[in-house]
Amino acid sequence: MAGRTWIRTIVLALLVAAVSLALDMKLADILTDGSLRQLLMLTACNVLVAVSLNVINGMAGQFSIGHAGFIGLGAYTAAVVASQLHVKLGSHAPTLAASFIVVPIALLAAAVVAGAFGFLLGLPSLRLKGDYLAIVTLGFAEIFRLLIATATVGVQDTPAQAWSAVRGPGTFFHALGVSITALGGQNGYAGPGDQGVPLYAGPFWILTIVTLMVVLAWRIKFSGWGRALRALREDEIASAAVGVDPTRYKVTSFVLAAVGAGVAGGLLAMMRDGTPSVQPDTFNFQASFDAITMVILGGSGSVTGAMLGGVFVTLSIKAIEYGQGSSFVQDLRRHAEWLDLNALRMILYSALLIALMILRPEGLLGERELFQKKRGAKAS
Amino acid sequence: MTLALKNVRKSFGGLCAVSDVTFTVPERSIFGLIGPNGAGKTTVFNLITGVYPFDTGSITLGGKSLANLKSAAIAEAGIARTFQNIRLFSQLTVLENLLVACELQKRAHLLAALLRSPSHYEDESSMTKRAFEMLDVFSLRELAHAPSTSLSYGNQRRLEIARAMMLSPKVLLLDEPAAGMNYGEAEGLKTQVRWLRDTFNLTVVLVEHNMQVVMGVCEEIHVLDHGETIAHGSPEAIRSHPAVIGAYLGEDTEGGAA
Repeated sequence: MAGRTWIRTIVLALLVAAVSLALDMKLADILTDGSLRQLLMLTACNVLVAVSLNVINGMAGQFSIGHAGFIGLGAYTAAVVASQLHVKLGSHAPTLAASFIVVPIALLAAAVVAGAFGFLLGLPSLRLKGDYLAIVTLGFAEIFRLLIATATVGVQDTPAQAWSAVRGPGTFFHALGVSITALGGQNGYAGPGDQGVPLYAGPFWILTIVTLMVVLAWRIKFSGWGRALRALREDEIASAAVGVDPTRYKVTSFVLAAVGAGVAGGLLAMMRDGTPSVQPDTFNFQASFDAITMVILGGSGSVTGAMLGGVFVTLSIKAIEYGQGSSFVQDLRRHAEWLDLNALRMILYSALLIALMILRPEGLLGERELFQKKRGAKAS
Repeated sequence: MTLALKNVRKSFGGLCAVSDVTFTVPERSIFGLIGPNGAGKTTVFNLITGVYPFDTGSITLGGKSLANLKSAAIAEAGIARTFQNIRLFSQLTVLENLLVACELQKRAHLLAALLRSPSHYEDESSMTKRAFEMLDVFSLRELAHAPSTSLSYGNQRRLEIARAMMLSPKVLLLDEPAAGMNYGEAEGLKTQVRWLRDTFNLTVVLVEHNMQVVMGVCEEIHVLDHGETIAHGSPEAIRSHPAVIGAYLGEDTEGGAA
């Protein structure tokens, strides 16, 4: 049985790769509107955001409200790594061939950095019971964003010079400050010399990586590990009493969620047809809140639910932005200045979430999945 | 393996919940831990299973110290338990409740699950097979795919014991297994506890208020009151022990320590 599954997996993987490779080369011809292509890729990235957050919020039941911080860490890391590699490769226009060098390395770096921070944050806060994780993650995401947005050092040396001059704690923190300042502060990071972050991640990379991560999330859920996470969510003391170490399972899940967010951020930073700079304000609290909305709307604990939530929230944000820009709304605004649809969005989402809590507290799908196999032994 | 507590003490702030408790549970015995409400019986269980750390003293299993071990590690060392107020994984099915207790014995871990390696499938099928065998032991097979909350009270208690047994423990701690049971069910429990001990070569420690069960099944009894030991001995000795009668009936007695 296991052997047949392997063959099926390989065939499916090749199929996904082939389709996304075809799309990578032909999407610009099919969708001539660049903003539509961007929207499609953005949706895919947000699906990954939702699916990764679902691992810790939905499956493990630990409330993390700073997902944007990990997306941001991934985005900045990938942007810096990709920019440096781009220069080393000769600063030619990004090609699909070159992306096979740049994208894997940049995403790996993004995943490692986000995962490492996930571990650092998760270890102290997940050992404790209760809502510490929510407070710590919220604080982390805001500190991360504000640190980058506001960093300034008076001296005009490059990060390389500053790091080579490190002689002790003082010069170390100076070098750290110089490095963070080099990320562009409030104006955003646009590669060395502001040439723009090279946009190597076309549909091939985005679709294959997002698919891969969704499959991994699915496998986590439908394995002993996922079962243990659900048990942990129900009762930590009883889980520990049957040998499921809460700290180990929670921290590992949190790191996995952070890695997913880091990869999503990396893809967003290098997304073809996207903006060639990384802005700190992309990763504000609203972005974290949007991620939570995706998970809760779709159904906490459901992988396909998180995917649906990701699609819905991304499209609705874009629809609202589009509506705001339309001449009709602009005309109306002349009479009613308060009519700011982007600001009203939070009211809309809040109302939607409240209605959902009353009518369907478990979210659209609850813990169930679309296309769930009817195998009693595995699924609930 | 012998479970031994020596001068174990635990205070919560100014309240001394367990003070200077010492007892040894002989291997393969059925051991009763009794006492009036608030005597510290469940606290002793929580100290043994690492729910919270004890202040002083020592707890050993087969000579190996359990101090500073986390609950999961103590479960791994061979101590399984049930809870006074049943703690099942309510959103999980009966079968899944048992499978969670198999995590420790799995050879394959997260990476194997992510790769869906052959060892992942082998683990899943051998775990499921074992879980169904355990369900048979407790006559719960028909309910395997039912949500655990849908079970009757008695079946929930049985499921909790079945889940603990999935750890293949050396010592089984049962916290008020007879709570809410009628005379007939309690008689059944006595048979079941003896059967478990004989079949799985277990040591059973029982916290229980139901004297019919305690006196009927325990071979040795330890009595606590206000966190202190007041008596220790065979059921016959405990039944007529003045300090025990005093503690239960509220008589004023002197010098009860045994």
